[in-house]
Amino acid sequence: MKSLFKIIILCCLFFCPGHSLAQGDKDKVEAIRVNFISERLKLTTNESEKFWPVYNEYNDKVKAVRKNLRQSLKKAPEELSDKEAEDLYQLDLKTRQAEFELYKQYRDKIKAIIGAKKTMKLRSAEEDFKIEIIKNIKDKSD
Amino acid sequence: MCVGTIFLFSTQIKAQATVDSLKVKLPKHYFKTVIVVDGYNKANQKFTDTNDFTAKRLKSYGLKQFSLSFYTPLVSYTDVDTVKHTTKNTHILLTGNYMRLRPVFEGIKQHDLIKMGFGLRFIFNSGKKGVWFVDTSPFITRDATYTSQGYFRMASTIVYSHNVSERFNWRIGATKSFMWGNKNYWPFIGLRFGRLDKVHLSIQFPRSINLNVPVGPKLTMSFYTKPQGGMYNFSNHDSIYYLSNASTFSYTRYELNSGFRADVRVNDKFNFYVAGGISSKNNITFYSEKANKARQNLPYRTYFFKENLGPTIFLNLGLVFKFGKTRTFYKDRNMYDVMDLNNTIDVGDNNGGAGNPQIPITPKSKKDINLQSVQDLIDYNDF
Repeated sequence: MKSLFKIIILCCLFFCPGHSLAQGDKDKVEAIRVNFISERLKLTTNESEKFWPVYNEYNDKVKAVRKNLRQSLKKAPEELSDKEAEDLYQLDLKTRQAEFELYKQYRDKIKAIIGAKKTMKLRSAEEDFKIEIIKNIKDKSD
Repeated sequence: MCVGTIFLFSTQIKAQATVDSLKVKLPKHYFKTVIVVDGYNKANQKFTDTNDFTAKRLKSYGLKQFSLSFYTPLVSYTDVDTVKHTTKNTHILLTGNYMRLRPVFEGIKQHDLIKMGFGLRFIFNSGKKGVWFVDTSPFITRDATYTSQGYFRMASTIVYSHNVSERFNWRIGATKSFMWGNKNYWPFIGLRFGRLDKVHLSIQFPRSINLNVPVGPKLTMSFYTKPQGGMYNFSNHDSIYYLSNASTFSYTRYELNSGFRADVRVNDKFNFYVAGGISSKNNITFYSEKANKARQNLPYRTYFFKENLGPTIFLNLGLVFKFGKTRTFYKDRNMYDVMDLNNTIDVGDNNGGAGNPQIPITPKSKKDINLQSVQDLIDYNDF
């Protein structure tokens, strides 16, 4: 049992590198955002059980598409060859296009589940959350 | 109408084609691979029955238990019904458990009893209100310290779980378990009041009663009562079974543990828990399967040693390691229930448990949000 205590302390030290903390922060923001949206939308039980799997899937896909681009943007532009810069430019455009197309595809699905009015409410909740976050960061930096 | 349908269809194909052309990898599974290292100790108690030969010989009884268990997703299949707008999913998980139980008898040498096995569980989320759960956990028990015959046993459970609302759930099913000290077939009846990510009371007969209180996104406290126990093979090296020259006899135990537990979520890869409390109804029996089988037309469960000891204290510590990227399921109450079912019915019929390491708990504070954590949400133009 004493050795298990020691292992707990070691694991806490070992499993807390910077990356995990950053990931934890992102998860935390995501949880707050989802909660904010949920409180605003006031979905019925029936709507909720259909809406959240679709909305989660949409967010997963958008995050994956953005992460893919972000990983490619790690190299400083000055270090890129012409060919690499062209490839990156195409990837950037494709990513934007994919994001928009995913947005359209999933908003259509969401509209079919919760209706146009609540879909617009979702849009407004997403925007309001951004404003709250910006205010929060601004307050912290003041 | 026809033109509209063709347009919608072509847009969907195009969207898929753009995402596909980016060769983006999406997580396949909802479940992480979870490894749990668990240590459980129960304080030593003196046998008070001075007339019993075996009790006098054994002198006292305590427990030291170590277990290593895991579950990992093998198959995850999601099916979206575009007409009813439901998202069904099926999960097949491989489970494994290795347990070393050391019953501490002051009067005899130490025995390490091993229980190990691999199992499979199948979980189906209907996408509406119901979740089906089927688990089979075959295992072998043997005495690793001295020569003994290994014994094959199998625990299994089938449960249907119905989410009436976020705040109320009922479950019904059947379970074959050894946690009450012998092979028992029980009905499984469960009730939950409260949301899984908030304060909730969960009554899961015959496994546990839990009151869970999330203190924050990093800490969950729970108050619980649950049985722990099992059947093990014990070598007769010390000639405890004095009526026969059998090499092995059966040792069964159960106790009812009531206490509190603190689950600490260190990060997305590691959790740990500490639990402690009172262990009551401490039961221990020894019997010979061979002798019992020979006693035709007489009751099968005849013990050559049986004791019920008074309450004592127990301590339980556990490390939970989580690996892999998974799909998100925020506010998806059926997926929360899928996760809860998987953790309520513990791997390997030990009735321990990893807690619910994957159910997200919403933080209350927005104060320590930094720019890096919101880069997916905010564009430059938003400022």
